[in-house]
Amino acid sequence: MKVALFVTCLVDLMRPSVGFAALRLLEAAGCEVVVPESQTCCGQPAFNSGDRRAAIALAQKTIAEFEGFDYLVAPSGSCPDQIRTEYPGLFLDDPDWRRRAEALAARTCELTQFLADVLKVSSVPGEFDGNVTYHDSCTGLRSLGIKRQPRQLLDKVRGLSVKEMPEAESCCGFGGTFAVKFGDISAAIAERKCVNLQAAAADAVVGGDLGCLINIEGKLRRMGDETTRVLHVAEVLAGTNGKLV
Amino acid sequence: MRSQAMFFQRRAGEALADPQLQKNFTGLRDKFVGMRARAVNAYERDFDELRDAGQAIRDRVLDNLDVWLELFEEKATQRGATVLWAKDGREICEQVVAIAQQHGAKKVIKSKSMLSEEAQLNVALTAAGIEPVETDLGEYILQLSGNEPPSHILAPAAHKNLDEVADLFAEKHGKPRKTEIPALTREAREALREHFLSADMGLSGGNFLIAETGSVALVTNEGNGRMVTTLPKVHVVITGIEKIVPTLEDFATLMRLLPRSATGQDISNYVSVCTGTKGADDSDGPEHTYFILVDNGRAGLVGSEFQPMLRCIRCGACMNHCPVYQSIGGHAYGWVYPGPMGSVLTSLYTGLENSLDLPHAATLCNQCGVVCPVRIPLPELLRKLREKQTERGLRPWSERLALSMWAWIAQRPGLYALATKIGVRYLNWLAGGADRIEVLGLAPGWTAGRDFPAPQGRTFKELYKQGQEKKT
Ligand code: SF4
Repeated sequence: MKVALFVTCLVDLMRPSVGFAALRLLEAAGCEVVVPESQTCCGQPAFNSGDRRAAIALAQKTIAEFEGFDYLVAPSGSCPDQIRTEYPGLFLDDPDWRRRAEALAARTCELTQFLADVLKVSSVPGEFDGNVTYHDSCTGLRSLGIKRQPRQLLDKVRGLSVKEMPEAESCCGFGGTFAVKFGDISAAIAERKCVNLQAAAADAVVGGDLGCLINIEGKLRRMGDETTRVLHVAEVLAGTNGKLV
Repeated sequence: MRSQAMFFQRRAGEALADPQLQKNFTGLRDKFVGMRARAVNAYERDFDELRDAGQAIRDRVLDNLDVWLELFEEKATQRGATVLWAKDGREICEQVVAIAQQHGAKKVIKSKSMLSEEAQLNVALTAAGIEPVETDLGEYILQLSGNEPPSHILAPAAHKNLDEVADLFAEKHGKPRKTEIPALTREAREALREHFLSADMGLSGGNFLIAETGSVALVTNEGNGRMVTTLPKVHVVITGIEKIVPTLEDFATLMRLLPRSATGQDISNYVSVCTGTKGADDSDGPEHTYFILVDNGRAGLVGSEFQPMLRCIRCGACMNHCPVYQSIGGHAYGWVYPGPMGSVLTSLYTGLENSLDLPHAATLCNQCGVVCPVRIPLPELLRKLREKQTERGLRPWSERLALSMWAWIAQRPGLYALATKIGVRYLNWLAGGADRIEVLGLAPGWTAGRDFPAPQGRTFKELYKQGQEKKT
C-alpha cells in the first residue's frame, strides 16, 4: 500500500519529530511511505481567513501532488478535514477538478484514524513510562469523528495509561489566526483548558493537532507549569517516552 | 439599537479584565451546559433525529415563506387580529406608537421581545409620552439599571449576580436590602403587579407564529407573558417574519427541541398559544390584537447562502456552548444578539462593514453547530462572512498583504522551503537557546498571554532530505 505523508506546515516548521514519528508508525505498519517533496500547505489558513482564491490555488496544488497514491495521511485532524470536507466544495463550477477533489477526499485520513480504522494495527512501537491525558482537537473530533482511535492506540503503548481530563472535548482557544487576532480571548480559553488538563495530574498532555499543542504548551509554561509535557500522539505512539531514538 | 460591534476588541478586553464578570460567566456556563446535556441524555428517543425534524420544518417554511405568511395573515385576520408589516425598526416604532395613541394607552407592559431591542422601541415609546415597563425579570432588572442592553437572549441580565441585583433593588425600590432569590423575586412581583393592573396595552414577542391557526406561541418561565397577553385590552405582538411554522403539530415538534436546548427543561413553565381577540364566551383576553411582522433584513436572506440562519429558534445553545461567549459574555458583541448566532445576525442585519471583528471572533470549533437544535452550520456561515469581507475589500491591507504573500510563496515549493528555513532560524534566534519565546514581535497578541514554544531547529523538509541523502 502506497501512502503519501502530508507533513503539514506546522510540523514542518515547528516540530519535525512529529513527521518522523508518523513516518515510523506507517512503516512499522507495513506501508510504503512517500513524502512528496513539493508539498507545502493545504490552504486551510487562507480558506478560514476568507481568501477563497488562494484556498483554491493551494487545493489544486495539493490534489495534483497527492492524487497518485493509495492514501494521503497526515498527523493532524484539521488539514485532512480541509481536504475531505472542504476541497470538493471549492470546485462547484469545475466538474473536472471537483471529481479529482472528491477522489482525493475519499482517500485522505488523519493518522490515528488511518492506523486504527484502515490498517487496524494490533501493536505500536512506542513505550511510555507514565500516564497521559488526551485533548480532543475540535476539527478532528467534531468533523472527522476522531475520539476512540487515539485512545485505542495509546492503550497499546507499553507502560502507558490514559487519565481523562474534565472537558476534554472543549476548545483550547487556538483557532489559527484567531489566536493572534484575539490573543487575549484565546489565552483566556487556553487557560481554562490548562486548568482542566492539570486536574488530570498526568505526566503529559497528548493531542493530535500541533496548533492546539503549541497553544497549550505556551499557556502551561506561562502559567509556571514546567513539568507537564506536551506531546503529539504520533510521538508517543512511535517513541520511547515521547522521543524518537 | 445602534450597533457597537466595532468596539468588539476593546469591550471583550474589558470583560476579560473584570474579575466579578468572569466569576458570573463561569457559573452561568456550567449551569447552561450541564442542564442541556442532562436533558438531551434523558430524552427517550434520538435527539439528533429530532434535530433533523426541526431543521426540516424550518426549511419547509423558509422555502416558501411568502405563502406561509399569507396563510398566517388570512387566518389571524379571520380570528379578529390586525396584521401589519414593518420594514425596519423605525416602522415598528411608528406602528406601535400609533396603536398606543389610537387606544389612548399611556402605559405599556412588555414581555421579552428581541425585536423591540432591534428597534429600540422603549426609546420611541418614552419619547411619545408612553411608559414602557419590562415585566420579564431579567429585562426588568436591566430597565431599572438604566436601560442596559441584554447580554443573553434568554437570560438578559445573565452578566449580573445576586449581590448586584440586591443592591439595585434596594436602591430603586427603596426597601430594605434582600439577599434571598425568593425575597427578591417577590419584591419584583409586587412592583410589577401594580403595572400589570394599570397598563393599557400589552406588548410581546413571539416564539412561533402558527400559520394554520393564525396564532402566536409564547414560551416563558415566569408567567409574565400570560399577564401581558391577557390583562390589557390591547395586545401587540412583534415578531420577525421568519418565525412562522405551518401547523400546531410542527409547533409541538419544535417545542420538544426548544426548552431542552435552551434551559434543559422538558417543557418550559408556561406555553401559551394566543389566537385572535377575546371571544364572546372567553373569560379573558384582549379586545384588540395586532401582529407586527418585521423584515429588518430578514427577507434579504431568503434564497441566499445565509438562509439557514433564518431557521434559528432563539434557544441560546450556541452562545452557551461557545468558548468565546463563555469568556467575554454578550455585551462585547455590540448589538442585540450575542454569541455565534449574534455574530452572523449582526453582520447581516447591521452591515458587514460595521462588524468586521465578529465573524473572525470565533475559533470555528463547531461546538455551536453540534448543539444547534435546527442544525445551523454556524462556523460555515461565519467563514462565508469572512469571504464576503475579503470580496468587498473590507479586511485591513496589512492582513491582506500578509495572506497573499504567504499564499504566493506556498504555491512555490522551492521558495517556500527557503522561507521556512529562514523562518525557523529566526524563531530560534529569538528564543536565544531557550525552549520558548516570551515576546513575539510579529504576533504580540499571542505572547501577551502565553509563551510561544521554540521550534526544534530545522524544518522537516531539511531533515528529511538529509536523511535521504545519507541513505543513498
Ligand atoms: S443558532 Fe441554533 S443554537 Fe443558536 S440560538 Fe439559534 S437555534 Fe439556538
